[in-house]
Amino acid sequence: MDPFVFHAPTKINFGQGIAISAIELLKELGSQRAVLITDKQLVKTDLVKSLIKEWQSQGSLFVFSDVLPDANLTAVNDAARLAKQEKCDGVIALGGGSVMDTAKVVNIILAFGGNALEHQGMNNIASRLLPSVAIPTTAGTGAEVSPVAMIKDDKEGKKLFFGSEFLAMSHAILDPELIVSLPARLTAATGLDAITHCLEALVVEGTSSPFTNALAMDALRMLFNFLPEAKNNCQNMEARSQTLVASTMAGMAFSSCGVGIVHALSHALGGQFSTHHGMTNAVLLPHGMRFNLSFAAQRYAQVARYLKLTENTDDEIAANILIESLEKLIKTLGLPSNLRGLDVPELKSEKLAQLVALASSDPAMIFNTRQATPDDIVEIYRNAY
Amino acid sequence: MSAFKNTEELNRVLLMLWDAIREDEQMSSQLLQSKISISFYYKEPESKLTVDCTDGNEMKIYVGEINFKPVVEMYMKSDLAHDFWLGKVNIPLALISGKIVSKGPVNKALALLPVIKPAFNFYPEIYKTIS
Ligand SMILES: NC(=O)c1ccc[n+]([C@@H]2O[C@H](COP(=O)([O-])OP(=O)(O)OC[C@H]3O[C@@H](n4cnc5c(N)ncnc54)[C@H](O)[C@@H]3O)[C@@H](O)[C@H]2O)c1
Ligand SMILES: [Fe+2]
Repeated sequence: MDPFVFHAPTKINFGQGIAISAIELLKELGSQRAVLITDKQLVKTDLVKSLIKEWQSQGSLFVFSDVLPDANLTAVNDAARLAKQEKCDGVIALGGGSVMDTAKVVNIILAFGGNALEHQGMNNIASRLLPSVAIPTTAGTGAEVSPVAMIKDDKEGKKLFFGSEFLAMSHAILDPELIVSLPARLTAATGLDAITHCLEALVVEGTSSPFTNALAMDALRMLFNFLPEAKNNCQNMEARSQTLVASTMAGMAFSSCGVGIVHALSHALGGQFSTHHGMTNAVLLPHGMRFNLSFAAQRYAQVARYLKLTENTDDEIAANILIESLEKLIKTLGLPSNLRGLDVPELKSEKLAQLVALASSDPAMIFNTRQATPDDIVEIYRNAY
Repeated sequence: MSAFKNTEELNRVLLMLWDAIREDEQMSSQLLQSKISISFYYKEPESKLTVDCTDGNEMKIYVGEINFKPVVEMYMKSDLAHDFWLGKVNIPLALISGKIVSKGPVNKALALLPVIKPAFNFYPEIYKTIS
């Protein structure tokens, strides 16, 4: 067996209605006044309104709800400045990946000062941050357990990377009630983000382990089985629970082994055109898998058999069945199958060159099983258009 | 056993290596085009080396303290750097396990990797000169 590192520092709490325990969990970790990072969309919902009221009755809370989809630098710096003024010593993130990524970088600034840009990098955070609780409302990004955050620099049109074992949240609260209000289209798109995490984690180069494989494999099974139902019947608590837990498992997997080319190309597009992360992954995933096929047929085939999509013993045939089944799933879920469906304008050569530069230097790319040349990347973007 | 006996030995090898990179038409032109400035901090033994390509015309190499802030800073053990130049490091694993620390825009640091890879070919010869 090859050497590996597996790290899963976040304590995971699952249960219907348990989001209410966030303040209690923070108090146990010594926090007296928390900043709640969330977004305007969520604070409009009755469930979140009553949750905030309950938390305020339990302890001291400052609410920052100005996070926009695709976490950006302005929200991070504003939230950090206000939370500092308000003397907050703990962080709650209630929202999707954008909110959780914002909360992570806010936590760095609260702990170490300075501004967000000063803290970008890999492994450059020296010690623990303030106590933190993440409550995902999408299922999802896995950001509630991951040690990374990506924040958009709108001026530069690119996503900045923050990665450190200390960025992982102290607690993740998985409460399926909070996912019920997620619209069908976003349910499908965020579910595809989780599926992409699994399928990329399963074929990375040099970092995977029996831990990451087991988590990704079973998370995929849960997502393939329950995502259509979660999308079609928002109220189905079992489907919401299965997809939520699966997305966290997928997050645990990629946190210790990385993702790959689909995420690299998706981050580049998201930086340039503000396309939704999960939706962009959904479009690019079959293309990324076909690109990796010659290096990963055996692993894709194992997945296909594990998901009972086929019993065929020929790896290449079984791997292709996986890709086709995935395309079928994406279609059933009503997600776009090309970049035009994401309103990406025609990719002229200058824009393509920019995307290639961003994608090939994206941190996700170093984990990909097959090295991609600039021409390979251009071809994937063109095929996906 | 450590790859370098002391800082002096480490510096000698690093300077020869970066001089060779500067002399290499392909590598130096790509580095100058990127306009990057990067400091490498080593420990056991300790050293600091900075490569400054910011003016796009001349690659400047400094050992020790400098009076400007580089775009990227990288921190690692000297032995890891030695293994890196020998092409023996599993870089994804070294990053995930925290053995390489990178401060600043990560994409700029990663864009450097393929550019300097040809130097793997001449590093063994350079290293031999101290043994
Ligand atoms: N750190 C990581 O590990 C990681 C991993 C993957 C993606 N990401 C990042 O996550 C971001 C995407 O996150 P996302 O896909 O969760 O979407 P999001 O957080 O951007 O949210 C999308 C929209 O959904 C709404 N929403 C969220 N939950 C809702 C709910 N329960 N009910 C109604 N509306 C709800 C939000 O208000 C928002 O308008 C990207 O910025 C991406 O880079 C981070
Ligand atoms: Fe993702």
